[in-house]
Amino acid sequence: MMSDQQIIEGCAKHDRKAQQLLYDKYSRFLLGVCMRYAQDKAEAEDILQDSFLKIFFNIKDFSGTGSFTGWLRKVAVNTAITHYHKNLKYRYHVEIEEYVSVETGVNSFEEDFFTSDELSKVLNELPTGYRMVFNLYAVEGYKHKEIAEILGIDTNTSKSQYSRAKAVIRDKLEKLGKLKSNYSENS
Amino acid sequence: MKAKKQDMSIRELFRQKLENAEIVPDALVGTKLMSKLTRREFLRFYPARFNIYYLGGILVAGITAAFILSSGILNSDQLAPSNLPGERIKTDSTEYLNVPVEQSVTQKSDKLSENATESIKNKVISRPKVESKMEPAQKSEPRENTSVIPAGVNDSFSKRGLFSESSADKNKLQGRFRTDEILFEPSDTEGCAPLKIRFYNKLTDYDSCRWTFGDGGSSSKKNPEWIFDVEGEYKVVLKVFGSDGLLAISSTIVTVYPKPLARFEISPEKVVLPDDEIRFLNYSADAVKFNWDFGDGSSSELFEPLHRYTKFGNYNIRLKVSSEYGCSDSLVVLNAFSGSAYFIDFPNAFVPNPEGPTGGFYSSKSDEAAQVFHPVFSGVSEYQLKIFSKLGIIIFESSDINIGWDGYFKGQLSNSGVYIWKVRGNFRNGEPFIKMGDVTLLRNL
Repeated sequence: MMSDQQIIEGCAKHDRKAQQLLYDKYSRFLLGVCMRYAQDKAEAEDILQDSFLKIFFNIKDFSGTGSFTGWLRKVAVNTAITHYHKNLKYRYHVEIEEYVSVETGVNSFEEDFFTSDELSKVLNELPTGYRMVFNLYAVEGYKHKEIAEILGIDTNTSKSQYSRAKAVIRDKLEKLGKLKSNYSENS
Repeated sequence: MKAKKQDMSIRELFRQKLENAEIVPDALVGTKLMSKLTRREFLRFYPARFNIYYLGGILVAGITAAFILSSGILNSDQLAPSNLPGERIKTDSTEYLNVPVEQSVTQKSDKLSENATESIKNKVISRPKVESKMEPAQKSEPRENTSVIPAGVNDSFSKRGLFSESSADKNKLQGRFRTDEILFEPSDTEGCAPLKIRFYNKLTDYDSCRWTFGDGGSSSKKNPEWIFDVEGEYKVVLKVFGSDGLLAISSTIVTVYPKPLARFEISPEKVVLPDDEIRFLNYSADAVKFNWDFGDGSSSELFEPLHRYTKFGNYNIRLKVSSEYGCSDSLVVLNAFSGSAYFIDFPNAFVPNPEGPTGGFYSSKSDEAAQVFHPVFSGVSEYQLKIFSKLGIIIFESSDINIGWDGYFKGQLSNSGVYIWKVRGNFRNGEPFIKMGDVTLLRNL
């Protein structure tokens, strides 16, 4: 097994074997990242492919300091953002009434109650704009101002989209939670 | 505080669960990626990898090598054709051919012994043909070759046949007709493509005749009709044969001018008459004059005119173009404005101004906050909008399309919820419309 260092050096020389190793080692992790920004797995795999092309062609830019996975993740997130911009015009706007009803009540969700698959699915079902903002803010930890710059939107739009996304997610999680607890009670 | 806590909860939940979530990609993705990578890498230069730059280098080297080699061979060949006797002989076709055969053959005989011997062969073979009166068509063949050469056809076979026949012709033809005599009359000598011309043979006393039209066509009728499809200058040659060979030969030049092409497009594609100004985009070719007929009685001679119609209708638009030679072409677009740009649509939600009724006036700029329920539309002439509550009570009515509903009923802001709207009216083209739908009134809290 080659170390990360050896793989990176091999990839910088465009060694096919090293590239294959890098893909085998990190594709699952990066697809997890891409999945959060995509509507479905096919779209996520498209982003993954573009990310790897970027990684292979720019690997010599990786300074060697800092975490390699962090760098990989950043490339994937940036690719997802480019992808979002490119496909912006093909997206359908979502009817507003679908997301106006906001129920409140549940304070917190238990950590282990939902599987990551379920959360991922909830994310995938979000309108693209919501999903981008939510991901960048909640998971990646960007600030609203940065998100506004990245996506080319207003800071306030970013904030309001985030809160709406949250409301939708909460709604979905509650429904899902009820379903699941009913199921466990019955069984 | 509650909200804050909840926010943290969702954020933490997603971050913990998804930040390092792994998903196994489809096996195909890896293969596809690798082949894509191979293609991309091929297009870039890497010293360690065979790529397009190396391939290009090899190709350039190969082509250069091939070029050097072949040019070496060509150089040795190029001398021969320039010395062909045929190109030295300049003959006006209305004159009888007059070629010093023996001389030219002997002159070139060193270099072109093969040609020379062949032309002698021709001579020997064609003699009997000339004398056999039974086959006029065959007789004419070699002679046609001789006279075609001056007209500019570079056919090596005909060049070889030159000597034998011309000398024979010369002997037979001299004195029969004068050299400057015009033997035929065309109905036209110039015109626009496609040009149809009838040629009248003025001679009567002959066995057969043969026309060549200069564009590869030929005929053996007395008064043929010919259509020249392509622009250019054509040399039409008439050869007349008597019982003992070629009697006379005559030619004229026919000039065919290019036909211009009329083409245009209407912009925008879908228009609302009479509101829109129509631009006509001109894609015509080989034309210098333009004549537009807009179908409403007005016209223009501009290259790309703008036009505004005064009322709705289906118009036939005609463009006639002429070239500098007076050739013309035209294009008519029938029912140019049948594509409909008329529409009316309503939003499905709006947020009334909570501070009081606005009167329902709106403009696309002032109503960015969607405070008024109003349509987006084009080409609407008559209009009536009614809005009902869920109980069926009419709470708003407007026959002015520029006034929408501000969400107030009798001075009171209506409750949030779903309302039903119904609209009817006519478009400018006379087409009626009726639409119904629901709208959600949202209240800013």
